[in-house]
Amino acid sequence: MRKTGKIIGRQIVLAILAFIWILPIIWLFVTTFSVEKGINTNHFFPQHWTLDNYHQLFFRPDVAANFPAWFKNSMFIGVCCCLISSVFVIMTAYAFSCLRFNGRKQLMSFSLILGMFPGVLSMIAMYFVLKLLGLTDSTLGLIIIYSGASGLGYLILKGFFDTIPTSLREAAKLEGASEATIFTKIVVPLSKPMIVYTVISSFLAPWMDFVMARLMIKSKNSADWTMAIGLFNLLQRALINQYFTIFCCGGLMVAVPITILFIIMQKFYVEGVTGGAVKG
Amino acid sequence: MKKKVLAVLLASAMAITAFAGCGSKEESSTTTETSEETKEASSDDAIANLIASTEGTVDLTLWCSETEEYQKVMKELCDNFEAQYPDVDFNITIGAVSEADMKDRVLEDVEAAADVFVFPDDQLEALVKAGALNEVAAQYTYDMNETDTAATVEAGQYNGKQYAYPFTASNGYFLYYDSSILSEEDVASWEALTAKAEELGKEVGCEVSNAWYLYGFFKGAGCTLEENEDQSNTCDWNSETGLACAESLQKICASKAFKSYGNDDFLAQLADGKIAAYVSGTWNDKKVAEVFGDGYAATKLPTFEVNGEAKQMNSYSGYKFMGVNAYSKNTGWAMLLTEYLTQASSQEAVYAATGEGPSNTEALKNASSPALSALAEQSQYAQLQRVGGKYWEPAAALGKNIVDGKVSQQVLDDAVAGITQPADAE
Amino acid sequence: MGNFFKKIGNNLKGFGEATAKGDIWVKLSLVIMGAGYFGRRQFARAILMTLLEVGVIASVINVFAPYMAKLNTLGTVQREEIFDALTMKKTVNDYDNSLLILLYGIIGVLIIVAFIVLYISNMNAVYRLQKMEKEGKHINSFKDDLISFKNENFHITLLTLPSLGVILMNVIPIIFMVCIAFTNYDENHQPPTYLFTWVGIKNFISLFTNSQTITFGYAFVRVLAWTLLWAVLATVTTFIGGILLAQFINHEHTMAKGLWRTLFVITIGIPQFVSLLLISKMFGDYGIVNSFCESTGILNMFKNAGLLPESAAYIPFLSQPGWAHVTIILVNIWVGVPYQMLVATGILMNIPTDQIESARIDGANKYQIFWKITMPYVLFITGPSLIQSVINNINNFNVIYLLTYNYTTTNMALANSNAKEVDLLITWLFRLTNEQSNYKMASVIGIVTFVICAALSLLTFSRMISGDNEEVYR
Repeated sequence: MRKTGKIIGRQIVLAILAFIWILPIIWLFVTTFSVEKGINTNHFFPQHWTLDNYHQLFFRPDVAANFPAWFKNSMFIGVCCCLISSVFVIMTAYAFSCLRFNGRKQLMSFSLILGMFPGVLSMIAMYFVLKLLGLTDSTLGLIIIYSGASGLGYLILKGFFDTIPTSLREAAKLEGASEATIFTKIVVPLSKPMIVYTVISSFLAPWMDFVMARLMIKSKNSADWTMAIGLFNLLQRALINQYFTIFCCGGLMVAVPITILFIIMQKFYVEGVTGGAVKG
Repeated sequence: MKKKVLAVLLASAMAITAFAGCGSKEESSTTTETSEETKEASSDDAIANLIASTEGTVDLTLWCSETEEYQKVMKELCDNFEAQYPDVDFNITIGAVSEADMKDRVLEDVEAAADVFVFPDDQLEALVKAGALNEVAAQYTYDMNETDTAATVEAGQYNGKQYAYPFTASNGYFLYYDSSILSEEDVASWEALTAKAEELGKEVGCEVSNAWYLYGFFKGAGCTLEENEDQSNTCDWNSETGLACAESLQKICASKAFKSYGNDDFLAQLADGKIAAYVSGTWNDKKVAEVFGDGYAATKLPTFEVNGEAKQMNSYSGYKFMGVNAYSKNTGWAMLLTEYLTQASSQEAVYAATGEGPSNTEALKNASSPALSALAEQSQYAQLQRVGGKYWEPAAALGKNIVDGKVSQQVLDDAVAGITQPADAE
Repeated sequence: MGNFFKKIGNNLKGFGEATAKGDIWVKLSLVIMGAGYFGRRQFARAILMTLLEVGVIASVINVFAPYMAKLNTLGTVQREEIFDALTMKKTVNDYDNSLLILLYGIIGVLIIVAFIVLYISNMNAVYRLQKMEKEGKHINSFKDDLISFKNENFHITLLTLPSLGVILMNVIPIIFMVCIAFTNYDENHQPPTYLFTWVGIKNFISLFTNSQTITFGYAFVRVLAWTLLWAVLATVTTFIGGILLAQFINHEHTMAKGLWRTLFVITIGIPQFVSLLLISKMFGDYGIVNSFCESTGILNMFKNAGLLPESAAYIPFLSQPGWAHVTIILVNIWVGVPYQMLVATGILMNIPTDQIESARIDGANKYQIFWKITMPYVLFITGPSLIQSVINNINNFNVIYLLTYNYTTTNMALANSNAKEVDLLITWLFRLTNEQSNYKMASVIGIVTFVICAALSLLTFSRMISGDNEEVYR
């Protein structure tokens, strides 16, 4: 009897905690159905319900809210960055973990130091470097910005590679495999969960960033924006009272793919994080 | 439509043209003609020259407010502008930028910013200081000194030079109220207003913790805040009058009915039916009219008591300007487009679409709304906003102190020290 | 570090030897870098080297030299324009742009430095070839070279592109911003129209001095204190919260573990700029939380407890110092715990059960087990990443900026230097650049932040990257 009580008690505590965590999301969710377009601070639930906001979001893009175009742009940038960054991170991590060459430690210390400089500050300079290359205001430019320095984020994956037994690689070498073959045929397949983790995190960074994108995208035509800038813009003083519900709809739609991704990949993610964390 | 060019500039310009032997077919008119005719002919000449020397597509970008109404009316006007010059191939792009952020967006990279942009008058100084605005050296299709109110033209000047084209003259603030529950006597003074609101259980207010509104109280009490030549400020808000003003303002703020809402909160409370009167501007006109319905009314700002004397609350008279980017690649066309968008008929169209009051005297005659007449009423107590950049943050902090009921001589002294610090202080 | 200089010394020595003892091909390499390879019949290498040399020299002379020549003054010619009213055209003089001079100058210098290094090692390489030829050793053909990139030179294949990206998007911008800290780039000196120039360490001095109106020093100390406090608190609270939650969900008595975990994970899916902006609206002075507190009497409870003055109409969750600080930490727990929970779940799954078992047999209760066995184990594993997350929190822009962008300070001294009580160094410098165009001070603050982070990590990372224990786990 006491045991049942304990079990129920546990579920109740968890339910309360989960409720606190989900509450803002519930608010986000119910607000998407509100007829009142502005932000309503006095009522949790909308007073009148409608589905029209979703219809407007998907089928009636206007100057301020062009969700379909944003989704497309963000998706494209996200996928490209995700590919490039993942490849960069995997290559760097492998080189630092499994290969021995001159200057390796110096390079590692150097990259650690670089990672500590506040990124917000160097944005302006990045913008002008891109301008020098003639790539401002282009998708390519944004992709370069997001994935260019991604090699620096190798630490966690390197920690994982460190745990792969050296004997495995040595055996392959004895059979005449080149370093490149060992890398592509042995180490990479072994590290699947960790690589999934890397891929997810490199997709999320550009998907959710708005500070950088706002500086880099000079076009003020909303069809050229990414999701984050577009949604952020809806909260400007002149728009918030007509578009707050649309913002909520958009935010929810952005969250859905990520959440599904996370739920499916949870296992990989857990293994990935820990794989790296074991060695830091 | 009158076509004029400033005479002095024209003379020098013609001299240059004569030497340069520019490629246009028309001979420039000789100086022996009467000056009036010269002017008329030459502004046509200049445009003809421009058309003749234009090759290929003219790319122009216009940045204006992101609201649907604005974007629509600007699109129409730009189309009309294109139609006016059938020989030239235009590609005009309209971008959506929040007016409050216009300066930040333009200054991030002036060379990549729009050729023409709309901005509120408080950003003029920062834009001129960064060299982002093209001087209005000549006008071709109208002369703003004749068509627009003197105050708006003057507001577009900096160090005696004209940098911006007047666009709207209704960016100031006044009092909205619900006339079905508040009488004219009620809205005459803050004391009466708060007392009545407490009785009704409604809310009234003004965003005191915003430096832009706070100015109105201190100025009304008789204090000064002026910008010096070196862009620092002169300010005496820590004087005896200043302290009295701050204390009486603090007393008003202490009323249960008085609120210092930001714009978002104001609109939310308004929609909820809690607000009876509030200090705001034309940007909220439609929403206020919708909520107050038949009771919708607007008037000048109320008075308030300082040392037992009723003082009229003052305000900043706000304007919106259109400016040409100094780094525009098509300066000539950008100027013509700006002139087109700020001329009388365009201003009328903008008024019809957005309710913002024109700066053009002719267009102003055809525009009338309670909000605009409230602004006109307030205009004798409204000053041009000329204040150095160090004013804003200390004054906002002072406003917050007043709302929180923490006024003291020390707070005022500190605020004045901050407001009057040298412009280039680190 | 000593090793590094020794290597440079060796290289220089080799260079001298090569110049002195090299044959005609080696000596010719001093002018045409490919010559040494050409002499040993390595034609592909010879062509590539020479092309590289020509390319670098041409680009430096044509593109970068004009800017580098002005690096000492950062430009002297200010922009002037003449508008011709009759042709409606504008003529502009050939003006200097300080920003471009600095940026191009830095890139130019970097290219030259890299080229010199390449040049010296090239001489060493061709001299080595000469010696190999003399000794009759096998000289790699171009094909051999290519194959080596799959084997002993595989690290070059792997690292070239990532390094280029890092140099372009990280190293150059950082050098650039460090330089800005020594100039007077602010709202009165904004390129392209106006010039800025070097001012030495003046900006650093003003960060550490105080006067009645110049309050940067005053603000800096306060912002720094809050930054450090925040970084530690944010890290510790989310870390412990995450472990406790993971432990709680992992407990044998918990049903539907996956479901609970998923519920928490959902919050990760919402982009921060959506969830945090929503929360900042919810906790606004007139937001929904305040409406709720007022109607349920929580507001009065706080008043009775003396936490709020009698006249307060709302709870200033995000609008008064103290309150705002607590709210920010709490919201950060909301943001960070689900992540930490995932991490901790993974770690707890791998925890050695034998230790726990033997402890249980010895009669330890579960609190003792948690604090004596579980926590030390988790700390041992995540120790280094904790330091990393302290550093990440020092630079945590999103949480602070999105929650407090409407915050107005009542502290005059802070207001006078555009700071707020809730600012981190990073949000302060963001607003200094973005809203005040005060780049010079922002750079100074950035450098100081960097120094703090670097010092912090030196304490811990040096052990980690020293590499002595890298092989231990294999």
